[in-house]
Amino acid sequence: MVLWVLIQREIKSFFISPTAYIVLFACAVIHGLNFAFWLEYMTSNNIKDFTLLQATVNSFFFWFLLLIQAPVLTMRSFAEENRSGTIEMILTAPVREWEVVLAKFVGALSFFSVLWLPLALDFLGLRLFWGHPLGSSGSMELLSLAMLLLLGSLFLAIGIFASCLTRSQMVAAILSFGAIFAIFSLSFVVYLGLIGQTRDLVTYFSFLDQMDTFSRGIFDSRPLVLTLSGTILFLFLTERVLQWRRLRS
Amino acid sequence: MITVENLTKDYAGFRAVQGISFSVQKGEIVGFLGPNGAGKTTTMRVLAGYLPPTGGRVAVAGHDIVAESLEARRHVGYMPENVPLYTDLRVNEYLAYRARLKGVKGRKVRERVEAVNRLCHLDDVKNKMIGNLSKGYRQRVGLADALVHEPDLLILDEPTIGLDPHQIRSVRDLIRSLGNRHTILLSSHILSEVEAVCTRVLILHRGRIEAADTPENLARLVRGGGGGVRLEVSCRSEEGQRELARLPDVESVNCRAEREGWSVFEIAPKTGKDIRDGIFSVVQQQNWRLREMSRLRASLEDIFVELTQD
Repeated sequence: MVLWVLIQREIKSFFISPTAYIVLFACAVIHGLNFAFWLEYMTSNNIKDFTLLQATVNSFFFWFLLLIQAPVLTMRSFAEENRSGTIEMILTAPVREWEVVLAKFVGALSFFSVLWLPLALDFLGLRLFWGHPLGSSGSMELLSLAMLLLLGSLFLAIGIFASCLTRSQMVAAILSFGAIFAIFSLSFVVYLGLIGQTRDLVTYFSFLDQMDTFSRGIFDSRPLVLTLSGTILFLFLTERVLQWRRLRS
Repeated sequence: MITVENLTKDYAGFRAVQGISFSVQKGEIVGFLGPNGAGKTTTMRVLAGYLPPTGGRVAVAGHDIVAESLEARRHVGYMPENVPLYTDLRVNEYLAYRARLKGVKGRKVRERVEAVNRLCHLDDVKNKMIGNLSKGYRQRVGLADALVHEPDLLILDEPTIGLDPHQIRSVRDLIRSLGNRHTILLSSHILSEVEAVCTRVLILHRGRIEAADTPENLARLVRGGGGGVRLEVSCRSEEGQRELARLPDVESVNCRAEREGWSVFEIAPKTGKDIRDGIFSVVQQQNWRLREMSRLRASLEDIFVELTQD
């Protein structure tokens, strides 16, 4: 199946480059240090007000990585194909535009998942060797993981969309980071003293709060709908741009 | 194999292709010839399904390029100008990927990759990274890519651009040998190449087809039936011009050179006349010594210049 061939190529193109392993290593180290810091801090101070999971998903480094990864992983995606002209080779093969876009997305999401594997292993390890990772239950951890992947999907879709607009990886990265950071900033706007409907609307986009909710083991369908529909929207827009290029260029 | 009716293509306010029509039959090798910006690449991109036409109808292997784009693309092996490739793959990997992308299945993939490697003389480099290959090899990888799914139609945009004469010759031989099994449309501005390989030539200029015929017929078209003669004899130029111009069927006599008692003439006949006999009689009567007498054949270059000059 053509889609599978494209996906294989995308996944391969991530793992073929040495940079990928450097990034993977760096992420693992940051996750590990962050995790170890909170573990040490909470046990030595005997903190019971929040769980280690909550501390992690609210930490600076967690969000730093989450916000920076999508632009880095997706800046190549279409921009590089546009620059080198290989996009012409793909689109003159008997493939549909949505297959190309979906393959890019699946490839990026796969590598994204691998980048978060170390943190998942940190928690898993704690559970296996210590019984329970300082307060959090399995469902809390799984819900947080789900929310992480949903957010990742949305950010990656935005990144892929930005990448198909340009032939410069740099421009793609800046565009997508700008957009992702702008949406993320809404998490803080809530604290500006908004009231009424505006507040409700902004809260709807408050990923920070949503992540916190999920890490308490509470399932909320609103972020699910938001991230999924956002992902689909941006992938759809990317597909439109590819077709529109064909219609216009 | 290709039917193009009244194709137009606009780029943001600029009409690159202005209503061209032509068709290519199965088994033909057709050459697109034209100066840069004539609309060759644009037309080929439309045929390959990369750009949709602004107006007109294009069908490839019986499938409309817009309505049945996917089906049409299945029948086309396309090699774009400058051959963009994934530089981080090995030749074998790349070709296998492309084969599978174009619908070659299972065990046939390896078979086809080996076949095109052999055909395009890529066996020496099949395990090398594409990024490390020379221009000539990359060009051949592009060609192998176009061939890997055994398409009925090959569209090759400037297949020999940037190659050295050796490589040009081998690619040209390859294309000629492919003509048995594939219909081929290629573009070039290397005229001798088109002349050597193609059964038919379409001359494109400013988005229009200026001429379409066999290379031989195009030559006749330009020289009013051809049959010009080049003559080198021992006489003074005025003398020769005077005597030769007396022949009834001669249109014009030009002296190209005069050196050490020898003059070179180019003699054009009136349309459709053979003047060689008459010329020989003149040479005999005047008692000139003869060093050369040959027919002038218009090269595609002449036609090209004549048809495409402003």
